[in-house]
Amino acid sequence: MKNAPKELRAHDMMLPGVLTAQGFLGMDERPVGDIIAEDETEFAELKLDFDAVADKLAYLRDSGEAGLGEPVTVRDIDAMRDPPRALLVQTGDARGMLPCPYGDGLYHKNGVSVRSADMPPGTCVEGEDMLVFSDLSIHLLREHHFCQGRGSPFRLDASLIAKLLFS
Amino acid sequence: MSPILIGPLTVAGLSTVLALVIAVLDKFLNNYGILKIDINGGKKSLDVKGGSALLGTLAAENIFVPSACGGRGSCGACKCKVLTDIGPHLPTELPFLSPAEMAANVHLACQVKVRQNLAIELPEELFSVKKFAASVERIRDLTYDIKEIRFALAGEKIEFSPGQYVQLVVPPYGDIRESVQRAYSMSSRPSDSKYVELLVRLVPGGIATTWTHKFLKEGDRVELVGPFGEFGVRDTPATMLCVAGGSGMAPFKSILYHMQETGDWAEKEIWYFFGARTAKDMFYLDELRALSEAWPKFHFVPALSEPKPEENWTGETGLITDVLDRYIKEKIGKTKPLEGYLCGSPGMINACINVMKKNGVTEDKIYYDKFA
Repeated sequence: MKNAPKELRAHDMMLPGVLTAQGFLGMDERPVGDIIAEDETEFAELKLDFDAVADKLAYLRDSGEAGLGEPVTVRDIDAMRDPPRALLVQTGDARGMLPCPYGDGLYHKNGVSVRSADMPPGTCVEGEDMLVFSDLSIHLLREHHFCQGRGSPFRLDASLIAKLLFS
Repeated sequence: MSPILIGPLTVAGLSTVLALVIAVLDKFLNNYGILKIDINGGKKSLDVKGGSALLGTLAAENIFVPSACGGRGSCGACKCKVLTDIGPHLPTELPFLSPAEMAANVHLACQVKVRQNLAIELPEELFSVKKFAASVERIRDLTYDIKEIRFALAGEKIEFSPGQYVQLVVPPYGDIRESVQRAYSMSSRPSDSKYVELLVRLVPGGIATTWTHKFLKEGDRVELVGPFGEFGVRDTPATMLCVAGGSGMAPFKSILYHMQETGDWAEKEIWYFFGARTAKDMFYLDELRALSEAWPKFHFVPALSEPKPEENWTGETGLITDVLDRYIKEKIGKTKPLEGYLCGSPGMINACINVMKKNGVTEDKIYYDKFA
């Protein structure tokens, strides 16, 4: 897939050591446009909507803030599920702000982790059964459909989102 | 020569010539020579090679301004006042500076290029900040996500006040290709000056905490930079209200055991509220309960926000802010002078400040180091 100039510019900003030490691409060597296209396909196959996912992540972030830095059990807003899904959410802050690699905003540095409350503490693996995201991740997902590259600790993997938040 | 090759070879040749011209021009135009940095009106004067960022230039001269992002302009920690006119603030600095700071010529040291002689102002205590070589003496699991790490300093001693912090230098590892630094409060006592102890909680996705939890081993060599920070006990007769959660325990461990050791604990009344989610997240319970038995004016109040029935927790329950509010109203009282000491996330600190203010503690009597 041919990448648009804005994706080429964003790709350069997403490399490790530019905006963050880790970068946004993980071990992924695909162009940003290809990452987005493949994630859009997977979202569609799993019947996930980018705005709905971003809304749910923002809700979980806000709910996690009630824990004042400690994990807190959050009952999912999905009223169709009985009993309601229980998620363990921890919202933490880091010092400073991060610009969007696309250049359209500045976001508070924070980190939110979400896992099933049924899993014993210390057993979750990031990216496999724990979602990790930030304010910038939510923005990238909502506005650019960019879920980050494979291997990035902040990758919002469609299948994990479906399993953890929408199953 | 084949006409097909003439075009590409011409382009390649022109590109090479242009690259050479740029390299030569760069050598001359960006050569600022040796420049002078005057700090605090002549208290220190440095002769430095120009052309680099002020933050790194100062660090090369062993003056360490705190920074958490490695000079990318994303943490806003490395503020310093630049008295020389260096032009307007960069767009990258604006999100981190208040109008008053901008009017006072405060800049981010990582965003200021040393291109001329500079006069700057820095807090004097930064002059005593040093870089220490150390090795990991012991790593102990306190909970499933908090480790106590004890570093032995290589032939040096660290002088600090209990409550201060150091920056741990994290080397490149795994996919992380460059060194980063992160701030951690010291949990060791100042008298234990050949060692530094830190409590590190694993943060999902966090570079430094992932390294300390999954890569760092006993015997490894590391670097620490410090001490930094103004957090510490004020010399007043006021009752201390201390609040922490998780690895926010660190400065209070240092403060409490230092007070015990020096005898400062005899007169001061201290209430220490420590919050966790479940019993599995609690640590140092036995030690702190023993301390409160030996020290009648020290009251330790651990509280769980989500205790599990099988844990048979008999202590306080609820969010630590609710427990704090209840204790001030029902047990501590508002008639005596109170002062607050906080260590935790900005959300926790803000929530505690609100509770304390509602109970008559004025904001100038509430102390904390906001790491985030």
